[in-house]
Amino acid sequence: MTDGLRTSASGMIAQQKRVDVIANNLANVNTTGFKRSRTNFEDLLYETVQGPRSTANQGAIGPMQVGHGVRLASITRVHGQGGAEQTGRPLDLAIEGEGFFQVELPDGTLAYTRDGSFTLSDTGQLVTSSGNALVPNLVLPPDATAVTISETGMVSVTNGNDGSMIEVGRIELARFPNPTGLMALGGNLFGETIASGYAATGFPQEDGYGRILQGTLESSNVEIVQEMTDMIAAQRAYEINARAIRSAEDMMQSINDLIR
Amino acid sequence: MTVPSIFATARSLSYYSRLQEVTANNLANASSEGFKADRMTAQSFSEVWPEALMSLDLKQGTVRDTARPLDIALEGDGFLVVNTPDGERLTRGGGFEINQQGFLVDRDGNNVLGREGPLHIAGREVVIEQDGTVVVDGARAGQLRLETVATPVELAKEGHGRFRPLGALQEALEVRVTQGAIEDANVDALMGTVDLIQIQRAYAAGVDALRTLDDVMSVITTEVGRV
Repeated sequence: MTDGLRTSASGMIAQQKRVDVIANNLANVNTTGFKRSRTNFEDLLYETVQGPRSTANQGAIGPMQVGHGVRLASITRVHGQGGAEQTGRPLDLAIEGEGFFQVELPDGTLAYTRDGSFTLSDTGQLVTSSGNALVPNLVLPPDATAVTISETGMVSVTNGNDGSMIEVGRIELARFPNPTGLMALGGNLFGETIASGYAATGFPQEDGYGRILQGTLESSNVEIVQEMTDMIAAQRAYEINARAIRSAEDMMQSINDLIR
Repeated sequence: MTVPSIFATARSLSYYSRLQEVTANNLANASSEGFKADRMTAQSFSEVWPEALMSLDLKQGTVRDTARPLDIALEGDGFLVVNTPDGERLTRGGGFEINQQGFLVDRDGNNVLGREGPLHIAGREVVIEQDGTVVVDGARAGQLRLETVATPVELAKEGHGRFRPLGALQEALEVRVTQGAIEDANVDALMGTVDLIQIQRAYAAGVDALRTLDDVMSVITTEVGRV
């Protein structure tokens, strides 16, 4: 029965973790390019009380195994497409389909993001809202009056003097064999890991990379209704496990009372 | 006559405490993917004592859509096969991933086996058909192995959602593969809670019986035989 207590406690801990993840999803419902996470649980080890055997009149009997609870197997990030939110701002870019923007962190390493709310630095370079430069670097000339970014990632500017269009570069996207394996670095950034595999780069709308939407941001893929129903389910499951602890405790109490 | 009764009651108490553990484990795993509940019953064989008997409830769990292409759920009687360091194990599916080498693996990194060995997925668009055929970017990449055992008795649980087959594997014919879905645990939380109450009451009743028997014994030892 003390095992039963621990089993139910593992159930409560698991549901607590689930609520933590749901709370983070809900907190980021308005975060650009945020990908929701999901908890996955699996059963813990089993104690085999009695092995399989066969009896004369009952035939084969399966093994008698008592399980010892549940554990959090993984937290999976769901890289589904978020909604496209029209902003009309020329440097807001969304990726529809596969791929990440590559940005360079202050320490020189690369990070990946789906958040395409870019701005210009003092030198006219395209940087993210936190100041990390887009890779490969794109610099807009100071005399440009308008910028056009095509669905294939081609960046053109209109020259202020004669109104001619000049191509200044092309946006590249990165893709991973296992995007679920990416590590969230905070600030809407993801980092490459052993699990994600190495980044492959390519141009938008080529080889299966997504297309770029100018004047648009990708909203988070959190669905409030789903998170709320999950939250209710987690809460109930938590209560049921607490109930199981109480029943085990009650049974221990009654057997303890036997000794006079 | 009272001594054997005390043993019989004690035995039933240990049965109920074991049953509480099994029920608690089922309830703790109510959110585990592809989990199959354990059932425990007391059964009387030719012997004098009833004996605890456990069985696996292979009833279908609810299949829930996730829209993640590598989430695989099964409907019907059968299992997917994964290759663990300890040998081939059965699983009801779950959230699979593609490892760095491009192979389909489960969460612990074990290869998911196809008919021609581990499934290699090199491409972007993975479509898994109902019969387990895996199509990557329009080309057939293999077919998932779908196996089962003769009776549920031949399955031992290993944790991590895996089952160890105790008998020979045979091809599962009555099973369908659903892509982008997860099978929920087949635990009925409501019935589990009702069971808990019942177990608790039965246990208390057993303890009362034990106390009564103890009283009788006490009378016998202290009163009877007094001159």
